[in-house]
Amino acid sequence: MNLFLSQVAAIAWKDFVTELKSRELFGAMFIFALLVILIFIFSINLSVVKASEVGPGILWAAFLFSGTLGLNRSFMLEQENGCLMGLMLAPADRTVIYFGKLISNFIFLSIMELFILPLFMIFFNIDILEHLLPLLFVIFLGTLGFCALGTLLSSLASNLKYREIMLPVLLYPLLVPIVIAVVRMTGQALNGTPLSGMMNWIGLTVSFDIIYIGVSIMTIDHILEE
Amino acid sequence: MTDKLDSDSAIAVRRLCKEFGVLKAVDGISFELQRGEFLSVFGPNGAGKTTLIKILAGLTRPSSGTAYVAGYKVDEGGADMRREIGVISHSPALYADLTPMENLVFYGKMYGLESPHESALASLEDVGLVPRRHDRVRTFSRGMVQRLSIARAILHDPSILFLDEPFTGLDVHAAAVLKEHLQNLHDKKRTILMTTHDVSCGLEMCDKAALLVMGRLTFFQDVKEVNKENFATMYFDAVRDNPFTAGIRQQG
Repeated sequence: MNLFLSQVAAIAWKDFVTELKSRELFGAMFIFALLVILIFIFSINLSVVKASEVGPGILWAAFLFSGTLGLNRSFMLEQENGCLMGLMLAPADRTVIYFGKLISNFIFLSIMELFILPLFMIFFNIDILEHLLPLLFVIFLGTLGFCALGTLLSSLASNLKYREIMLPVLLYPLLVPIVIAVVRMTGQALNGTPLSGMMNWIGLTVSFDIIYIGVSIMTIDHILEE
Repeated sequence: MTDKLDSDSAIAVRRLCKEFGVLKAVDGISFELQRGEFLSVFGPNGAGKTTLIKILAGLTRPSSGTAYVAGYKVDEGGADMRREIGVISHSPALYADLTPMENLVFYGKMYGLESPHESALASLEDVGLVPRRHDRVRTFSRGMVQRLSIARAILHDPSILFLDEPFTGLDVHAAAVLKEHLQNLHDKKRTILMTTHDVSCGLEMCDKAALLVMGRLTFFQDVKEVNKENFATMYFDAVRDNPFTAGIRQQG
């Protein structure tokens, strides 16, 4: 178990150090998310529409679109120079690769979200600080589900010719239940609803998170093998 | 069925096949290699050399037949078998933005080594890259990358090495340095299976020579019994008759 955890940590740490040195991913994700929010800001008349009603959808559109950039890059990094082969030759269970990449994707996306949230607050004039904890919990659940499924599909798409196109095509339809749930929960959190008032949506999101991770554990071995 | 073969063979292959749709990349290969032996496998492009190495390294499953590596059945050996092998391929399996130390320490952790830093340093010393240990791999020449690839492959002190055309893209000097490193590895009683197009170099280094043509093993012999000129003629005939190169000639 210790070896499993240290191997998972080694992969996540390696991705983190690589990103610190190359600085290719985070900047692109942040700017893309910011652009998505700006485009919506200029296309919506906030004096007519209530910000807390349209805001959650726009926020998650920004998270998911920019997160897809990160997922695309995630396994591409391993394909360069045959590094995925190096990982697969290590005496480790293949789920180690999945969980290592899942953690690094989750951390990158979470950091980007933490940078976007204050800007969202300013652009939409919504005070998120009052309801910060429920909001962060909802974002945690949504990001986990997105990364759990996204990491699996990114490993699958990395072997395909049109990987940049295939990942969103495969990912977004399967994400629909989680997206609906997190957009609803974010709206409720911004309106001051406590977590206890959104248990149905939380249950749905947690269930899908578990399903996505479970399916990934069962299939990653076959997906990674050529 | 047991997944461990009790034998002195480092590699034992029996009627091994790998099919991709209608294409038979590996077609009924059988051979055995004792511990400490060096086998050079020659063959034209598309002969199935890389596929053979991928099967033996547990990276892809055979369609039929069996193969044992270090006593483990390749499709069942898993992590235990992978601890016994090292692979050097066309691709170095190194992260270009990391330094050699960072790359090797990372792989050391993946192999569960007790002291990955010390092991990384020792491996870098073996291939003469200690002075460049803190430079990014991106700044290395092809020859240095290939030497670092050797350091990665021997980091966990494997008993069996698979080398897939390790001389590809190297200049004469880099090839000579690499050859010396490989010779050292063989002297340390490691079992080595190398695929190559370089007949003279491959024959010079090996104990056994094999020729793979269109997925079939057409020649397998102790190198002492091999007439080098006849073997070279046989190899170039195989290359000439290879459907891939024949296609290129027709287009030309």
